Amino acid sequence: MDLASNYEIDRTAQFILNGHFKRVALQFPDELLRDSTRVVRALRDELDDIEIGLFVMADTTFGSCCVDEVGASHVGADCVVHYGHTCLSQTSTLSAFFVFGKAAISVSDCVKSLADCLSTSEKPVLVLYGLEYSHAINHVKEAMEKELSSLRQSKSDLVLYFVDVMCTVMNPSTVDDHPESSGCTGANGTSSNCKRTGSSLDVRFDPKENSLAKDFLHHKRVLMRRYYLVEKAKDANIIGILVGTLGVAGYLHMINQMKDLIAKAGKKSYTLVMGRPNPAKLANFPECNVFIYVSCAQTALMDSKEFLAPVITPFEATHAFSRGSQWTGAYMLEFRNLVASSQEDDSDTEEARFSFLQGGYVEDHDNESKEKPVEDGERSISLVEATQRALQLQDSNPHSIVKGTARSGAEFFNARSYHGLEMHSEKSVPQPFVIGRTGKASGYQNEKENREIL
Amino acid sequence: MVKFTADELRRIMDLKHNIRNMSVIAHVDHGKSTLTDSLVAAAGIIAQEVAGDVRMTDTRADEAERGITIKSTGISLYYEMTEESLKDFKGERQGNEYLINLIDSPGHVDFSSEVTAALRITDGALVVVDCVEGVCVQTETVLRQALGERIRPVLTVNKMDRCFLELQVEGEEAYQTFQRVIENANVIMATYEDPLLGDCQVYPEKGTVAFSAGLHGWAFTLTNFAKMYASKFGVDESKMMERLWGENFFDPATKKWTSKNTGSPSCKRGFVQFCYEPIKQIIKTCMNDEKDKLWPMLTKLGVTMKSEEKDLVGKALMKRVMQTWLPAANALLEMMIFHLPSPAKAQKYRVENLYEGPLDDIYAAAIRSCDPEGPLMLYVSKMIPASDKGRFFAFGRVFSGKVSTGLKVRIMGPNYIPGQKKDLYVKSVQRTVIWMGKRQESVEDVPCGNTVALVGLDQFITKNATLTNEKETDAHPIRAMKFSVSPVVRVAVQCKVASDLPKLVEGLKRLAKSDPMVVCTIEESGEHIIAGAGELHLEICLKDLVDDFMGGAEIIKSDPVVSFRETVLEKSCRTVMSKSPNKHNRLYMEARPLEEGLAEAIDDGRIGPRDDPKVRSKVLSEEFGWDKDLAKKIWCFGPETTGPNMVVDMCKGVQYLNEIKDSVVAGFQWASKEGALAEENMRGICFEVCDVVLHADAIHRGGGQVIPTARRVIYASQLTAKPRLLEPVYLVEIQAPEQALGGIYGVLNQKRGHVFEEMQRPGTPLYNIKAYLPVIESFGFSTLLRANTSGQAFPQCVFDHWDMMSSDPLEVGSQASTLVAEIRKRKGLKEQMTPLSEFEDKL
Repeated sequence: MDLASNYEIDRTAQFILNGHFKRVALQFPDELLRDSTRVVRALRDELDDIEIGLFVMADTTFGSCCVDEVGASHVGADCVVHYGHTCLSQTSTLSAFFVFGKAAISVSDCVKSLADCLSTSEKPVLVLYGLEYSHAINHVKEAMEKELSSLRQSKSDLVLYFVDVMCTVMNPSTVDDHPESSGCTGANGTSSNCKRTGSSLDVRFDPKENSLAKDFLHHKRVLMRRYYLVEKAKDANIIGILVGTLGVAGYLHMINQMKDLIAKAGKKSYTLVMGRPNPAKLANFPECNVFIYVSCAQTALMDSKEFLAPVITPFEATHAFSRGSQWTGAYMLEFRNLVASSQEDDSDTEEARFSFLQGGYVEDHDNESKEKPVEDGERSISLVEATQRALQLQDSNPHSIVKGTARSGAEFFNARSYHGLEMHSEKSVPQPFVIGRTGKASGYQNEKENREIL
Repeated sequence: MVKFTADELRRIMDLKHNIRNMSVIAHVDHGKSTLTDSLVAAAGIIAQEVAGDVRMTDTRADEAERGITIKSTGISLYYEMTEESLKDFKGERQGNEYLINLIDSPGHVDFSSEVTAALRITDGALVVVDCVEGVCVQTETVLRQALGERIRPVLTVNKMDRCFLELQVEGEEAYQTFQRVIENANVIMATYEDPLLGDCQVYPEKGTVAFSAGLHGWAFTLTNFAKMYASKFGVDESKMMERLWGENFFDPATKKWTSKNTGSPSCKRGFVQFCYEPIKQIIKTCMNDEKDKLWPMLTKLGVTMKSEEKDLVGKALMKRVMQTWLPAANALLEMMIFHLPSPAKAQKYRVENLYEGPLDDIYAAAIRSCDPEGPLMLYVSKMIPASDKGRFFAFGRVFSGKVSTGLKVRIMGPNYIPGQKKDLYVKSVQRTVIWMGKRQESVEDVPCGNTVALVGLDQFITKNATLTNEKETDAHPIRAMKFSVSPVVRVAVQCKVASDLPKLVEGLKRLAKSDPMVVCTIEESGEHIIAGAGELHLEICLKDLVDDFMGGAEIIKSDPVVSFRETVLEKSCRTVMSKSPNKHNRLYMEARPLEEGLAEAIDDGRIGPRDDPKVRSKVLSEEFGWDKDLAKKIWCFGPETTGPNMVVDMCKGVQYLNEIKDSVVAGFQWASKEGALAEENMRGICFEVCDVVLHADAIHRGGGQVIPTARRVIYASQLTAKPRLLEPVYLVEIQAPEQALGGIYGVLNQKRGHVFEEMQRPGTPLYNIKAYLPVIESFGFSTLLRANTSGQAFPQCVFDHWDMMSSDPLEVGSQASTLVAEIRKRKGLKEQMTPLSEFEDKL
């Protein structure tokens, strides 16, 4: 497939010209970056207007599926053309144009497999597909119509749904026009999709092998695992909010909502911006018992055994930190929906919270926070209490190895055995200098020598 | 007809010297509940005629069905002593009225946590032993527990009726059997003797041993007979009692007492002559329906029968006659009143065991003196499901002060640490209730020394808690109970309909409350797990969950699962190294097995993270041969900071080492919880930090770099030290006649069990077999055993130790490696273990 059709050069040019954009940012994911110069050249030829500035953006801070609005505003771009796989998350300030790319698919094989599947299935079938196949979906649809009419003669109750083709142009002002523009994307995103739709997907057409594969059986397992993470999050005292996007509309609102939620639950939160999280980065914050990852729907589900603390989504956090909410199995990834559904539930019971990780009732700090205003009312007493607290025995047994659970970062660091460099004022004389190691981290000089001796 | 009212009961509650709190403990099927019935009958709650058949304290349908007690049940009895019988009582008393708070406990090992909960709130124990079967494994277990709690025991040799009716043994032979039973019990008591409790052994001649037939509702102590004969022989009672036991023989022909059998046919042991023979004779006459002989004999004994009772025949007549002559309640209750301590007496020495705080504060003093005016100290030992579904009574004992309806109390949970707000609630008691068998009566308040049930606190107490007055912020909690069984058998539950999950969650919460031992947790995979002591325990828990706690929602349960442990066999074959993600830091470690017995010592809490380092290093160097300096370099225990694994610093002169200590500890806690083999807990591994290379910039040696590296190097050192799996092993005790032995051995062989002791019970055709049986093989074991021995063998399994599986889990195709693959599959992990090369780095 040639470059112009794969990257939809003419459509892109049309979009730019129609919108009268003067500065256009072209956002490439890492795997398509090699084509970027050719795409720019082709676009330039197509546009034939030197007034329009084209900028190539790469190596996005967060997932490359989201439109990098911050990056684009650095060059003062007025629109973004996004190439490759995308999560189609709503942008907040800039218009965006999406080029999905076109992957090869055999329409006839696909239709045949679908028909096979339909004839054996009792339930309606929903067809989800990767964005890179959206160019072929109309052909599949037409071919399926024909197949269906012949199939219906034997079985009458066949129902086949196709997920709607989503918009390829996004404008921040058109949010209400496309409330259902839910993206259905490649194989890696399909499991998160089926959680959203709640259907039990169990076959997958593999265009490379031209066959149906059954490999989504673990989807229930994933859901159970998320349930466990929520239970674990309920026991957390310190929560890190990871900012995983700067582009998705409403992310700031979401972060604030999370902060309020955590504060209401009587826990402590810290907001962390660290780009794409990995185990090493997260382990730099060992005081956090759980992380909430505020990001686009595609990258939201992060679960790895490598993480020291679980990483959960805002939806799960809402479950974990609002009392009385029950896990029903329904799931939401996009926080657009979550903002709307943040219900104000006053739990009527004052029962202590039961932790399944510890197998018993655990205290909740919110009863403490409820008491606070009362304390403030009695001014004289509160002063006394404050002074009482001012001189408190911090650690009854400094040699004890066990430390209690910390409720804030400061408390956590207090409990650490290492508190930073200790200054010994009596040793004020400068120490004689010693020669340190030389060489590279993969093997310092002295280590190399040792190895040679061995 | 009920002879007493709640008001009457409440009045005696104030007389702290006239209260006896006691539990009935024994091996399964030795007749606790039946015996308890006959005591309850005397209190007038159930009719005397049906005593022995009702099992008053088995309140659950399944208890009645199976004929075993599952939950311990409390019952308060009122007993009035005659002035005359109290004339020898030396202790303090206030009048002749006595209140006996009795707790019937289950005998099956799977429910021994119930016994523990019962013992905590009582001061004395009635140990029931079957006169034929003798002291069994569970008798020993509960006795040991009782003495550990400083509970004074008295003994009753039960099922005497079997001697007379079933076995028809002669007097001398019966005496020998009884003597042996008592001796065996005394051996155990002597082993666990406690200086403060004094001599706990029981002696028939001192009146601390009774002989009973629970089924027929009669019992006697030597005191009864001594009283009868003392006037006849013109000696005082205590002298007579001594003669009725031991090497004292009487020849009616010469009317002389000797200390040896003279050999003449008429010379018989005192006990046989004066106790055993008369009973035997009466029973024989009754059974043979020789009424003309019977009536004169009864008149001689001073027993008067009602006219309508005279028409009874056979067993019914015998039962009636014996009950009238030697009523069980009188003998047993008198024994308890005489020889078991009152709360006032018992709390003096129990306070040390009970109170966690300093023994010289006001709370300890109030407990010690059982002071009703002192601060409230109340221990809730278990939760009892109330009739309105979902709610629970908090059942416990007031150790000092008074608890009353409407009182605001501080609830200190098991994780409460004085001075902190963790696990602490302040709530009001809605109602105080006392238990009278199946009935509950509300009372205004309950003073110290009594058992009590509280309403309205169940939403803050999981299993147990210490309650005190709202203002008593300095009070320490009462020490947590220590259970003799551990929840080693687990089952995963799931609801059939996904939307029932909230019901399941609620149900599990209630289940966790209703049983002192059951543990309801959640797995990494998101499955809900119920863990219990054994198969039967789990079965009952699941039944409760479905029937009572889930409102009819259906559940799916997995096959029982056993958790394993991961350990190492040898020291790592080489020092392994892992690099941090940025390659700038390196950790070098080795793993080695902990010394034998050290893991157990950590389990028992003899060595732990909270110890004084000096004491710890002393114990380690003296008992386990550690180097004194090394013992001071323990960084931590794990998992959960208290587990039986540790990290020891062996480095010399490493810069910044203390800076990464917390990170290494965090990595270790994580890794020791999920071992490299199958993500099971580690056990008995010591990790030695051999060397560390760190980046000079603090930012490059932070937690992010070191924590994952520590985890990897720990896995690498585990894998290089010949990793092995540990499986839990039950100690099984089986009692069976000789002909069943073949079947027992067959089943044990089939189930990988091995017998290490086989002993014939002296004087019986019964054999006692002790064997080790892997827990994983125990599912269906008792059914199979019964099938193979035509129901003659009955096993009792109790978790004993962790046993190393000899096969190498790293060797493809070995038994351990298939096991590892199975566990990994169940947990949803990759079936293939992560290879060593993933964890170990090369320079």
